[in-house]
Amino acid sequence: MSADQALPRRKRPEAGLTIAGLGVRFGERDGLADITCEVAPGERLALVGPSGVGKTSLLRTVAGLVAPLRGTIRVQGRAVEALRPEQRGIVYLHQAPALFPHLHVLDNIAFPMRLRGVGEEQARAEARRLLARVDLAGFAERRVTALSGGQKHRVALARALAATPDVLLLDEPFAALDPALRREVRDAVVALLDANGPAVVVVTHDVDEAVQFAHRMAVLLPSGLAQVDAVATVLRRPASVAVARFLGLPNIVVGEVDDAGHFTSALGAVPTTAARGPATLVAAADALSARLCSEGTGVVESVQMRVQGSVLVVRCGAERLMATPAPGTTIAVGDLVALSVEVDRVSVLSEGNARTGSHPQPDGTRAAADV
Amino acid sequence: MRERRPAVSAAVWFVVLAAVSLAPVALLVLRALARTWLYPTLSPVVADGSALAAVLSLPRLRGALVASLLLALGTGVLATAMGCAAGRALVRARGGWRRVATAAAFLPVVAPPIALGVGIQVVALRLGLGGTLGGVMLAHLIPAAGYVTLYFVGALQGEDFALEDEARTLGATRWQTTWRVTIPVLRSRLRDAFVLGALVSWGQLALTLLVGAGSIRTLPVELLSYVRAGDDRLGAAAALVLAVPPLLAMGVVGLGARRTGAVA
Repeated sequence: MSADQALPRRKRPEAGLTIAGLGVRFGERDGLADITCEVAPGERLALVGPSGVGKTSLLRTVAGLVAPLRGTIRVQGRAVEALRPEQRGIVYLHQAPALFPHLHVLDNIAFPMRLRGVGEEQARAEARRLLARVDLAGFAERRVTALSGGQKHRVALARALAATPDVLLLDEPFAALDPALRREVRDAVVALLDANGPAVVVVTHDVDEAVQFAHRMAVLLPSGLAQVDAVATVLRRPASVAVARFLGLPNIVVGEVDDAGHFTSALGAVPTTAARGPATLVAAADALSARLCSEGTGVVESVQMRVQGSVLVVRCGAERLMATPAPGTTIAVGDLVALSVEVDRVSVLSEGNARTGSHPQPDGTRAAADV
Repeated sequence: MRERRPAVSAAVWFVVLAAVSLAPVALLVLRALARTWLYPTLSPVVADGSALAAVLSLPRLRGALVASLLLALGTGVLATAMGCAAGRALVRARGGWRRVATAAAFLPVVAPPIALGVGIQVVALRLGLGGTLGGVMLAHLIPAAGYVTLYFVGALQGEDFALEDEARTLGATRWQTTWRVTIPVLRSRLRDAFVLGALVSWGQLALTLLVGAGSIRTLPVELLSYVRAGDDRLGAAAALVLAVPPLLAMGVVGLGARRTGAVA
């Protein structure tokens, strides 16, 4: 699964989950304000943000477990904010699978069907079908306490789907799992949630996980929803410096856009369509490449070894930047280097954008700019 | 480094504890079974079950046994329901009032029953509940619910209420969640709480005397009347009847805990 995967086709304008102007409570005080976003049926939206920002509170509010302060929540076009949790068509899955310990695996999955009055035989047959879909066909009569962590997650997911929800909310579903198990559970979730499935919102503080799992990403910061966009767009063009900082983009360079449409900074001049005036450039390390140059403006301060290759820390005037060596180049500490910017992989945020978090303008037309 | 040995070994403490716990019960059994126990002999000269048989054949005592059982069962059920709800609310509560509410739950446990009884008696009489089984049960409920609430506050610490939240979003109403999830999950703790509430009522004397106004005669009330009349032998037999059900209840709780792996 990648960030470039096709988005599911929207069935109708108000289908799936629509949140508008939602105010979320944190304990006794106001928390988040004016949360607005949409998730189409079959679409997976990753809600990312730093710890303690209110991701879980937002999910619990949408699920009806906490009353909203204001705003509307619509499921398939139906206003649900005043309804009880069981009437909303929204299933909320906790980080740790909350399986009922007094019921066997099959009875756990049949639980929501029995609530709906589905006959015993039909409920058990449907539960067995769902159990087979999560590759646990032989576990029907097991006690849930005897299952492994990954198996519990899969049973919880099968049970959630047995409720045939319009919206599925997953609260950090992979956070407590080791990397191998995380991949197993993530793949199982993706395999189960097809394009005709529910609208899915998954909370995570792991950007890589969001990239692997979701079609779109919503970045939640203390100021509110800072950006909701396709995963690739968020990563390449963060809407604000705050989003860039959260995403861990290491290069945040202050400069100015001149009349000729160039962003000028310690990096040199980078073509941009951003508005004239003070601006900030944000870029990942691999958007800047370094090559040896006796007249270069940068000095290599250190070389960091990573799994994907080395990353250079380059002093460029007053700025410390991170860049990757140009292909076929060997660079050492103390070398003089020139930096090239991949223009379509950087964002230049005018001061207004940087402050308000509004969407940046697309940058220049050149593939790269030598600086 | 050599581990330092405790001054008194654990075995000695165990023997002391067993002696302190078992000696009164052993002496009670001896006194209830003793027909002739002359001074200064350390054991009865003649022992049989005649006192026990005599006590159990008394209609008054059988009536007291039934009244005690009804009160214990009713109080146990009501205290468990109230204490469970209050304990869960306290555990889930946030903010400053949580401390106030927890302190309030302690009050009926800390205050001596006889002190509580004086206040309750006035209200019970004005409500027409004085001298009735219902009035005495309500009086017993005050300390029993306090104990059970505190039990649940402890037993539910760290409890994850995710099961109930998830049941709601899976389509369960509040009642369905209670019957299908909460009660089955808390089953062993509800059983223990019921036993605790029932035992508080079973041994209650002061509140029964004050609110029962002599009309409600429970086993402790009958026992007191034998002791005050100087009939040690019948008094000991009645005391044995009073002591056995709680011991059996503790045994049942212990067995249940062993079977489910829970801590009693």
